[in-house]
Order: sequence, then C-alpha cells, then structure tokens
Amino acid sequence: MLCENCKERPVSVILKQETPGGPVERNLCDQCAFNLQTFSVNPNQEPMSIQQFLSQWLTGEAVQPQALEAQVMPECPECGLTFHRFLEIGKFGCPVCYETFRERLPRVFGKLHNGSTVHRGKIPASFNEKMAIKKQIEFLRISMQDAIQTERFEQAAVLRDEIKEWKRKLSAGPEEGGAADGE
Amino acid sequence: MGNNEYMQNAVTGWMVPHGEHSDIVMSTRIRLARNLRGFRFPIAFSDEQAEEIGKLVSDALLNGGKTGYAYTRMSDLKALGRQTLVEKHLISPQLADAVHYGAVLLSEDETVSIMVNEEDHLRIQCIYPGLQLENAYRKADETDNLLESRLPYAFDEEFGYLTSCPSNTGTGMRASVMVHLPALTMTKQINRIIPAVSRLGMVVRGSYGEGSEAPGNVYQVSNQLTLGKSEKEILAELANIVSRIIVHERKSRELLLGRSRLSLENRVFRALGTLSYARLLPSAEAARCLSDVRLGIDLGLIEDVDMNILNELMVFMQSGFLQNFEGGELTAEELDSSRAKLIRERLRQRAADGEPHPDEP
Ligand SMILES: [Zn+2]
Ligand SMILES: [Zn+2]
Repeated sequence: MLCENCKERPVSVILKQETPGGPVERNLCDQCAFNLQTFSVNPNQEPMSIQQFLSQWLTGEAVQPQALEAQVMPECPECGLTFHRFLEIGKFGCPVCYETFRERLPRVFGKLHNGSTVHRGKIPASFNEKMAIKKQIEFLRISMQDAIQTERFEQAAVLRDEIKEWKRKLSAGPEEGGAADGE
Repeated sequence: MGNNEYMQNAVTGWMVPHGEHSDIVMSTRIRLARNLRGFRFPIAFSDEQAEEIGKLVSDALLNGGKTGYAYTRMSDLKALGRQTLVEKHLISPQLADAVHYGAVLLSEDETVSIMVNEEDHLRIQCIYPGLQLENAYRKADETDNLLESRLPYAFDEEFGYLTSCPSNTGTGMRASVMVHLPALTMTKQINRIIPAVSRLGMVVRGSYGEGSEAPGNVYQVSNQLTLGKSEKEILAELANIVSRIIVHERKSRELLLGRSRLSLENRVFRALGTLSYARLLPSAEAARCLSDVRLGIDLGLIEDVDMNILNELMVFMQSGFLQNFEGGELTAEELDSSRAKLIRERLRQRAADGEPHPDEP
C-alpha cells in the first residue's frame, strides 16, 4: 500500500487523527508522518515494532494529558522534532536531536537495547584524534594557569599561542586529521 | 541457452558456495549505518541536502584514486532494474523506493554496496559467501574508515554512531548470516529455536519474502542490539549462535536420514523431478523443491547437480529477474512458465556437462 499523502512511498505508519467528525486513520510513510505534525498515534495499529513500542511506552507512563502539557517538551533547533513526536514516529530527524534529547535518551535506549545506554564499540579515528587534542588543550591550559600564578608571563604567552593553535586544529574538522587507519 | 549466459553474468560474489559450512550457510552480511554531521536524516532532509549528500559521498569514494566503484542513482534505473538489485540483496527495498534521492555505490565484484540516502545517509554493506563474519566485517570496516577519513561523520561520545532509528544507534552494525535449515524446519525444531535465540538479543527470520514463513527454508540470523557491546562482541555472539544452529541442523539431518531414508529419498527425487520437468512453477513450490534438492545434494543422495542451484535460483526465479530476462512485464502464468523454463534449463546443464542423465522428453 502506498502512502496516502505522497502516493510514492510504502506505508510504514498508521496515524490516527482527531477530526470534528471523529477519528480518522491515515496511512503514511515515514517521511510524511514526520512532516505532518498534527497527528496522534494509534498504538494498536502500528505496523512497526519500534514505533509501537515507543508509543506504548509513551501512553503507558509518560503521558497523563495534563502532565504532558505542563512538561516543557524539548524541540530540536535543527529539524523541529519534539520529543513527543520522536516517541510517536520512532525516528530521529537529525544528529542534533540526540543532543537535544540527551537526558531523556538513556531510558529509551535502555528499553530498546536490553539495558545498555552507552556506546562501547568502534570510535572513528578522527574522533579519537579530537579527544586527544581536547586533552592536550586541557593540559596546556592548566600549565598556563600555573605559569600565570607563578608570574612566568613569557611562558604563559607561549602556552596561550599553543592552545590557540590546537583549538584551530580542533575546529578545522575531520578532513584535517582523519586519514589515519582505524586500527 | 541464452538463459545460462544471462544467469552467469548475473551471478554475484555471495551466490557462489564457498567459505566455511557452505553446505548450510549461504552468505554472511555486515551492514553499517552512518550519517553525516550537519545534515538532517533522510526522513526529514530537503531535496537540496539529499543532492549534496549524494555528491559528497560519490566524490569521497570516486575522486580519491581508489575507484572500482560505480555510482548509480535510483532515478537512473527502471523499476525492474531496481527490483533486480533488491533480489540480489545488493540494495534494500527501502532504497529502491527512494526513487528521487537514493543512490548506490557498487564495488566491481558486488561484494560491497554503499547505499546513499536510505534510512540513513550511508549504509555500508558487505556480503560474502558462506560463514565469514570476520572477513566481511574487516571489509566493511575498511570501507568505513576510508569514507570516514573524507566525510564528517555524526558520532557522539556517549551514544556512538548517530542513526535515524534508535534501534541502530551505537555501532550502527547489523550482522546477519543466511542459513538453509531444511531439517530443523521439517522436524519443527525451528519453532523452538526462534524464541530461544530472540532471548539472546538475536533474531531469526525468513530470508526471502515477508512475514514469518521462510521460502526455501532459508533463514537469516542477525543481531538485534547495537548499543552497549563492541562490534567484536556482537560478531562473536552471533558466530556462537550460528554454530550452534549448524550443529542442530546437522544432527537433525542425520536423524532424518537414519530414521526415514526412503521417505527422504522419495522427497528429494520427487522435487528433482518437478524441477526438471514442470511447465508451470509457482515461486512457493519452486522454493520448496529447490530446498529439497539442495538437501539431497548435501546428503549425497543426489550427485549430479551442483550445490549452488539453491543460492542462484532462489534469486533468479524472482519476478524482477524473470521479467528482466524476458524483456517485459509478465502475467502470473507467464511468470510461472518462465520460472519453470529457467530452472529446467539450469538443471539440464549438468547433462551437457557430461554427467549421465535421462534425456528430457
Ligand atoms: Zn508519504
Ligand atoms: Zn533534529
């Protein structure tokens, strides 16, 4: 069955819309479900397990209607997705969503990944490098503070320039230093 | 015999029986989900962003000197062309549906395919024949490193690789092994294995078609969890479960052979007869017979048919391939007829290869 909104992609979500004439069901693809902000979910008819799971969880514990309104629901500044909406469609809209909902995500991941909430696998080489640079900057900053306190100002200036240099490298992004092999 | 030539050209790396336990394990697949920082996920991105991602990824892979990849937009393919890529497991049905902005980078030998703008910006997929979890992961990992050195990946210290669906967050890795389990299916033991495996964080499901049935008794065993475990741990757990399933399948095969050899022989030779002589073959019947014949080959009951008929024909007998071969749309009956002809000709090859075989009427 094709999505009734775009008539292009297959249906993956069935959303229930409250209209003046009573509830109406709409068969939508992921993209259209994401874009149409006014629907609420019908947990009994979700074909996809994650959505079903998250929405049941939502209706099960997170939602008492007043509590929901009283709560300030974070909204992603990049893609506009609200946390409530995320639970309905079961998908993030962009990488910034993770930052936006960071505090609420361990509970979501815990349920989906058998209690696990933290990544333990591969780390990209460029990211490893960034971590190393951040540590280096932190180390230099402490040395600089120390130099200032003991009035070794020339050395402090050298350290300050060095910190600046590292910060520039850090913001230059992964194109600079990511060529190293992962292992 | 245009059929055979067409099929030989279409045979892709994973269909050739090779690698460990290739009598039971048909193929191993690793899939890594990756996304680019600064772009919305495909569920929410604009056409301009989609376009830019396609360009970034193709530039990253094609301009770096390391070619050997071909870039194909979904919009450049006809519906049948997309369908055959799905039937060969080189792209997902979801990518085939992303007609406007989806694309795929295929390696020359078709063992690596990089799907662009599927559910995630990147889905790096590596398929090897037989049981080769480590080799397949190594290849996928290398490809991942290469792409990462040229693209700004969305990665988070706490959550790992950021993906559109929270069920992929972390490693973004789905490892799956395709297994042929006729004896476990015949003895209904599979019905006990499936729930047991799911308690271990893995899934078993039919590999072809949809729903819970498994055409051709071909199943896919894959990891469900992506967060909280390293890639190596996940691969080791999957390998462990698969090897236990293999042991069970072998035992059941021996048991069947010991207890009811005659009825088993009857079954596999009837299947061979059907495949050799039928004029109309619906896909469910063809899948069942292919599975039986393959079992007969594995048990040494059938000697003059080569074992990749199951691997190859499960793919080539699907409607996209048949229609592509016949060069147009087919009715249901025409499909069944075309399928029967294709399989007949494929089986007749063994006679041409010099093995004694009764002539076809
Ligand atoms: Zn739609
Ligand atoms: Zn977002």
